[in-house]
Amino acid sequence: MRKTLIIAKWEYIEKIRTRAFIISMFVTPAILLLFTLAPTWFNKSQEESTRAYGIIDTSGVYFNQVKDNLEVIKLKDEQPKFIIINLNNKKDNLNHLKKLGDRDVISNKLQGYLIILNGGTDSIRISFRSKGSGSFDDKDKIESVFNKVKNRIQLEKAGVDTSIINSVSKSVNINSIKIEENGKESKADFLTLFFSSFIFIMLLMMMVLSTGGMLVRSLLEEKSNRLIEILVSSCSKKELLAGKVIALSALGFTQIFIWSILGLVTAGAALVPAEAFDNILPMMGFFILGYVFYVSIFVGIGSIVTTEQEAQQMTSYISLILILPTIFAVSAIQYPGSTAVKILSYIPFTSASIMMMRLKIETIPIGELLTIVFIMLVSIYLSISFSSKLFKIGILSYGKRPAFKELIRWIREK
Amino acid sequence: MLVAENLTKEYKDVTAVDNVSFKVQPGRIFGLLGPNGAGKTTTIRTILNIIQPSSGRILFEGQPLNDHFFNIIGYLPEERGLYKKSKVIDIILYFARLKNMDKKTALAQADIWLKKLDISLYKNKRIDELSKGNQQKVQFITTIIHNPGLIVLDEPFSGFDPINQQLIREIIISLSGLGKTIILSTHQMDTAEKLCSDIFLINKGKEVCSGSLTEIKKRFGSNSVRINFEGDPSFINSLPSVVSVEKSESHTPFSSMEINLREDVLPKDFLKDIMGHLSVTHFSVIEPALDKIFIDVIRNSK
Repeated sequence: MRKTLIIAKWEYIEKIRTRAFIISMFVTPAILLLFTLAPTWFNKSQEESTRAYGIIDTSGVYFNQVKDNLEVIKLKDEQPKFIIINLNNKKDNLNHLKKLGDRDVISNKLQGYLIILNGGTDSIRISFRSKGSGSFDDKDKIESVFNKVKNRIQLEKAGVDTSIINSVSKSVNINSIKIEENGKESKADFLTLFFSSFIFIMLLMMMVLSTGGMLVRSLLEEKSNRLIEILVSSCSKKELLAGKVIALSALGFTQIFIWSILGLVTAGAALVPAEAFDNILPMMGFFILGYVFYVSIFVGIGSIVTTEQEAQQMTSYISLILILPTIFAVSAIQYPGSTAVKILSYIPFTSASIMMMRLKIETIPIGELLTIVFIMLVSIYLSISFSSKLFKIGILSYGKRPAFKELIRWIREK
Repeated sequence: MLVAENLTKEYKDVTAVDNVSFKVQPGRIFGLLGPNGAGKTTTIRTILNIIQPSSGRILFEGQPLNDHFFNIIGYLPEERGLYKKSKVIDIILYFARLKNMDKKTALAQADIWLKKLDISLYKNKRIDELSKGNQQKVQFITTIIHNPGLIVLDEPFSGFDPINQQLIREIIISLSGLGKTIILSTHQMDTAEKLCSDIFLINKGKEVCSGSLTEIKKRFGSNSVRINFEGDPSFINSLPSVVSVEKSESHTPFSSMEINLREDVLPKDFLKDIMGHLSVTHFSVIEPALDKIFIDVIRNSK
């Protein structure tokens, strides 16, 4: 036990001083923060400026109402969101008008423009011309306003009472509220949910990859300069393995600790929405389970690889498995109860990531939660015992990487 | 004393060590010799308790190997290398602590050894700032700082210049003088010849020849002497104790000769025989070089 601690202390200090660790400690969250905040900032900066759109209304029926309805929409700073300009005039034909309009769009005088072609009452053809980037939200807005106006005009034509038209055309927004076990309500916004669970999955992945990679590299070095032989002639392999795993876990916790502080600071600064910290404790639990599981796998792998290239290959395979759950993230959020998501949460390789996501978006029955925790604990136990068998033989074999068949033999060997 | 009894280590399709037995006496340096792939490393690993033999056993001071044994081993592997980014003193302390030394003693011993090996200056430097030779000195210190009872050195002189080789050789001899059990594995026969009292030659996992150095030399050497003299040597060929005269050079007034004697003749008796006829200025028994024995024995075993 004493030797285990000596090894753990040495490995911890040795690794925490490396440039790779320090970089990953601060750069990882910075990158993630950037990735999660960029879309919101991007949206905001678009929203915050008034934009000009043109309309060529060959019917002459819709322009005024569409303009009025669009120009009442305000930005946060009370400035109008849209300025609508009439591009139609009696002199020019449509083709010429189009040319003029396109020219204005290209020279950025207009964001885009709408052509309303009237082919009789029921057949209206509308096209929206723009440079395309970033104007999809605006197009949706203009589309819905146009349809509202069109309905209103048709209802008026049919002689429907104005008050009825008013009440019909009032649209209702749906507020989505997630119900929590304790009866608490919380507002769930798709993007926030997605990104806040995404942050944790990415953090887990980065952490596993950086510490796991570090472990594999250092084992490889110790193997190639035979330090490993001096170590195993100074203590038992069990003590050595335990020391390394303890050091690595301590490194992981150091990262979590520093990241939590960074998280609290950024939350305090309102950079990260407070909802991101809902359910944080059980999520941390799964984070740690996932981390320990993967680290114990890395120990086994680290002891069988014989070259840097192999190490990199192995690491990238593992990272693929780790990132797999994010592919399901969208569907997990849209359909929280789906079978695929459920199944993945029982598979130890994806369990931690999927559970961190599910904890954000749904209320998981306590029985299921405990079953999954149990599965994770058993998997950790198994992967540690497999890894330690690979470790015991692997650290002393050089040259060619053992074939799969041989690895099986190692695991079976007592 | 370390005793290996019928050591065998089998892998899937090779027998790396095949029924090998030997004794390593304290105070006598034991040379484990053999060509590449002979089974030296496997033998060493079994001795160090890193791997378990398939059969046979190792006893040290009459006891089978146990966990306590870890603290009395000092092992210098053939391939060297230390944690490059760490400080010299930190590494020495780390390995000393792993050998159950307390920090204070370890620090004091580290200072003594750093001074002895003339690298005190680098105590607080990082390993990658040191020359290769100095890095090896640091590693040598980590091997012996805890005053191990059993020292296993695999090619200890590779990478050292002649001056430092001499320094390391002196330390090894003084450790042997302190009664340590020392195993030295090497390809360099002249090293073995200078240091080892006992030799164990292994090839393809099997013992090829073993015994004390003098005994082996006798066994494999022919009974030959060299003389330098003044006078007429023509009578020598007709002496009953002489088999043949190998080399004969004459530079008047002094000449020299190498003479093969009959196996049952003692060199000193031969000397008495010739003393009356020649004035002898030099007389020596010719020993075969160990590397010649090595090559011959390995060739014959094939």
